[in-house]
Amino acid sequence: MIELQDVTLRYGNREILDKISLTIEDNKIKAVVGPSGVGKSTILKLILGLIKPNNGRILIDGVDITPLKEAQLYPIRRKMGIVFQGNALFDSMSISENLGFFLRENLNLSEEETERKVQEQIVFAGLEGYEDELPENLSGGMKKRVAIGRALIFNPSMILFDEPTAGLDPVSSKKILALISSLRHKNNLGAAIVTHIIDDVLQVADNVAVLYKGGIIFDDETGKLHDSTHPFIQSILSDKILEQ
Amino acid sequence: MARSVIGTLLTNANLSMKEFFLTMQEFFLFSVRAFITIPKIKRYWRDFLDQAKIAGADSLPIVLVSSISIGALLAVEVGNLLEDFGAKTMLGRSTALSIIRELGPLIMGLMLSARYGSRNGAELGAMKISEQIDALRAFGTDPVAKLVMPRLMAALIVFIPLTAIADFSGLYSAALLAEHYHKIDPGIFWNAVFPRLVFKDFVVGFLKAPVFAIIITLVSCFNGFIAQGGTAGVGRSTIKGIVVSSGLILVANFYVSKLVLENM
Repeated sequence: MIELQDVTLRYGNREILDKISLTIEDNKIKAVVGPSGVGKSTILKLILGLIKPNNGRILIDGVDITPLKEAQLYPIRRKMGIVFQGNALFDSMSISENLGFFLRENLNLSEEETERKVQEQIVFAGLEGYEDELPENLSGGMKKRVAIGRALIFNPSMILFDEPTAGLDPVSSKKILALISSLRHKNNLGAAIVTHIIDDVLQVADNVAVLYKGGIIFDDETGKLHDSTHPFIQSILSDKILEQ
Repeated sequence: MARSVIGTLLTNANLSMKEFFLTMQEFFLFSVRAFITIPKIKRYWRDFLDQAKIAGADSLPIVLVSSISIGALLAVEVGNLLEDFGAKTMLGRSTALSIIRELGPLIMGLMLSARYGSRNGAELGAMKISEQIDALRAFGTDPVAKLVMPRLMAALIVFIPLTAIADFSGLYSAALLAEHYHKIDPGIFWNAVFPRLVFKDFVVGFLKAPVFAIIITLVSCFNGFIAQGGTAGVGRSTIKGIVVSSGLILVANFYVSKLVLENM
């Protein structure tokens, strides 16, 4: 379980997050929605310990990660996988190298075992025959599936998705959302999704938090979002895609 | 009105100073990290070999072209000057000292700052912008150990032979120009070179190679690591890396010469 408690983050004089509290339960899909630039992706980076908050605590399975040093964070980070908005695949490596890279880096597996795990993810991502291709030769949806496969490589209990359908065509978006749902239902994985596309949230999320002007203005079950009378939430429900 | 303008200027200056010192602190920690991860070289030996090829074999043409040009130019200009004093036979000595102590390593450093430094800055900057460096950290790999340390080690090792090559090619081109342009017998030229060169001259020249390697690699990689603002940001960080490392090379060149010549 991931908990953010009274987390404040400032860049210089600019306050990005102001005492936000958020809980992401295991085996549940939690979405964080908000307009572009409001600090949604920052929340994922805080959860992974890639950036430190100015105030507040971030608990991963009960362990406060805010005072931890980089080396102490590595085992905690492996409990989670992340799919970056731009996928962050290594562009000089083939698909199978991308999938096997962190296994070779961090686990002392035999080459056969590594290859077997890589092949599992290739099959999972439906990319048989593309093993030796470079990421630049794949479509947006395929790259996203590789990034999801990579996020699963350490068998995490939670996956963090940063704008999982941004820039994808409607068919690919639908496939990715179905994949996220199936991970929860078949693999029992929890997920945190940050997005500005409200339709994605309504399709897959169990819970939703709405981030607006540095604070959380709604945090409840997705079904209850329509009951909110907050003008911003009303506007996002009618506009579907948030732009500021 | 004037008071508020001065106030704003002071506030901005204060913020810039604060930002500068924070960046220096970050750079210091980054540099320490690059050195303390050196024991992991065995794990990243493939990266080290790739970088050694890029910094060494691939940089050879530009190092040769620049050192040959500088050697030839020095022979022509210094030869003309010495001719006025009837001391053309001293050309070998003066050229050798200039090239081995100063121009060989300096030209090599500046060329590698432009070539190796720009490559590091652009490559790592693009990785930063596309979140690949964040991905390394997120999946438990130390990006400094993986990306910076092999570059640093490669530069530290290959810059020394590159300096030797730059020195030799510069001197050889000077010898050719001395023979064909100034009509100085090669025996006279080389006799003025070797017996006159002392151990200290080589120490001055070759000590600069690792110093330049550290400056070029750490400055360019650091600027790549802090790149932000899309593709334009990558361009900015690359340029900054080259400008800062070139400036530091010129300053370090002076101080290494001064320190060694005064203390040996």
